[in-house]
Amino acid sequence: MMIDFLQSLVDGVLVGTTYSLIGIGFTLIFGVMHKINLSYASASVGGAYCGLLLVGAAGGKSALLVFLMAAAAAGVIGYVVYLTCFRFIPASHPLGTLMSTVGMLLLIDEIVVHATFGVPVAYPPLYEGPSIELGELYIRPDYLMVFAVGIAAMTVLTLLLYRSRLGLATRAVSQQPVAAQLCGIALYRVNAATFVVTGVLGGIAGAMIGASVGMLSPLLVLPLTVKGLIVTVIGGLGSIPGAIVAGLMVGGFENVLQYYRGVTERDLYVMLLLFVFLVFRPGGLFAAKSERN
Amino acid sequence: MLRVGDVVTAYGQLEALKGVSVAAESGKITCLLGPNGAGKTTLMMTVTGLLKPKRGSIAFEGQELVGLSPSEIVARGVALVPENRLVFPDMSVRENLEAGAYLRRKPAEIAADLDRMFERFPRLKERAGQSAGTLSGGEQQMLAVARALMSRPRLLLMDEPSLGLAPLIVEEIFRIVAELNRDGTSIFLVEQNAHMALKVAHHFYLIEQGRVTFSGSPGQLAEDEVIQRAYLGSKRG
Repeated sequence: MMIDFLQSLVDGVLVGTTYSLIGIGFTLIFGVMHKINLSYASASVGGAYCGLLLVGAAGGKSALLVFLMAAAAAGVIGYVVYLTCFRFIPASHPLGTLMSTVGMLLLIDEIVVHATFGVPVAYPPLYEGPSIELGELYIRPDYLMVFAVGIAAMTVLTLLLYRSRLGLATRAVSQQPVAAQLCGIALYRVNAATFVVTGVLGGIAGAMIGASVGMLSPLLVLPLTVKGLIVTVIGGLGSIPGAIVAGLMVGGFENVLQYYRGVTERDLYVMLLLFVFLVFRPGGLFAAKSERN
Repeated sequence: MLRVGDVVTAYGQLEALKGVSVAAESGKITCLLGPNGAGKTTLMMTVTGLLKPKRGSIAFEGQELVGLSPSEIVARGVALVPENRLVFPDMSVRENLEAGAYLRRKPAEIAADLDRMFERFPRLKERAGQSAGTLSGGEQQMLAVARALMSRPRLLLMDEPSLGLAPLIVEEIFRIVAELNRDGTSIFLVEQNAHMALKVAHHFYLIEQGRVTFSGSPGQLAEDEVIQRAYLGSKRG
């Protein structure tokens, strides 16, 4: 019994890195623009589709190429999302960019459905090999790969944010946009760069989901959007460490409940977890308790 | 050095600047004094490109600034120490200064300037690794000044550097202002603290309700009257 619990927990946490990445994407864009980009998960899955379809159309078969193309395509989509949904929409309008990103979510979804006739497509695993056994515990190699790639992506992002000129500018804009401009930092450029970087992260997440499920389907978009937002709230809006931990947490939690209560019930408990956080810790995992009022 | 000519800046229908003309001379300290809501901060934000004027011209060393973006204006040599300091709270003191040098590309020169700032502001050196948000008000003000200087401006604009600071700290800030000027930086200072500002200014303006109502050198107008008009405006009494 105990081993089943542990097994589901480990599997869930490993795949939870994809939730972490999506959560980071939501949270970074919020941190810089103070806006939610609802098309984010849709663009991420769209990027994964692009990788698969573009490489397939060129006659390529390499799983690595599919993966890299997904990241690159999602970066481009991120820039397009910025241009169409944010750049020219007045930021002062409370619903403007929210509605434009809902539109984009539906548009990307629709394009995917048209391109694939709504039929799920097979996705190549990034890595195949024997399971690793730890006592009675099995670590699936594809899940381990998802985890490793996720951690690598987060490491690169952290270095980018804390060790580069662009990272300094990004943090400056998110903390104090007026002063950032007075330092000579161009807001539009930092905003656009944030969309490209988060786009690449999303593409990686989308590709990893495809690799771990073994296929891509338009049906992935909505649950991923909801889970990404839940992770963002639980981690605390704007907190990257929060998003990382919350992603792993939601991944583990959801998989354990799927084991005990089945796939139809599990999301109910994830929603319950969100509710508990909203009531008792609305600022997220790492926020000071005093933030509630 | 800086010539602001008949500038009108409006928030929607409301004109905060109703045709303001002021000038700052090279190597001098120029002050603009006036009560809250007179348009002082609006003028600073217009000069730095954060707000677009409805009409008028702003020339810096003969080049028009209106229409340029804030970063282009910084690149031309104008830096602002904003009202309320606006330090980056979750970045270290050192990173705040590095952000100030964002447009510069020579790491060796930036490092040398960083050392110079730490020399001039020893408190900042002590706290170099600390988050700027944990500094006291006076320290944050010094950080904001140092951050602006990191862009190597030829003209330094300062928006109410004395705001919310204890009298002793205010004196220190004004001592630094005079020192910077002695070392060759031209300064355009916006203040409500007329007493301190008049001590360092070479030339000053009064602004009331979006219009310049006096222009002259300290001593041309009784300090009592300046203080009265800088805090309350002349139309109250």
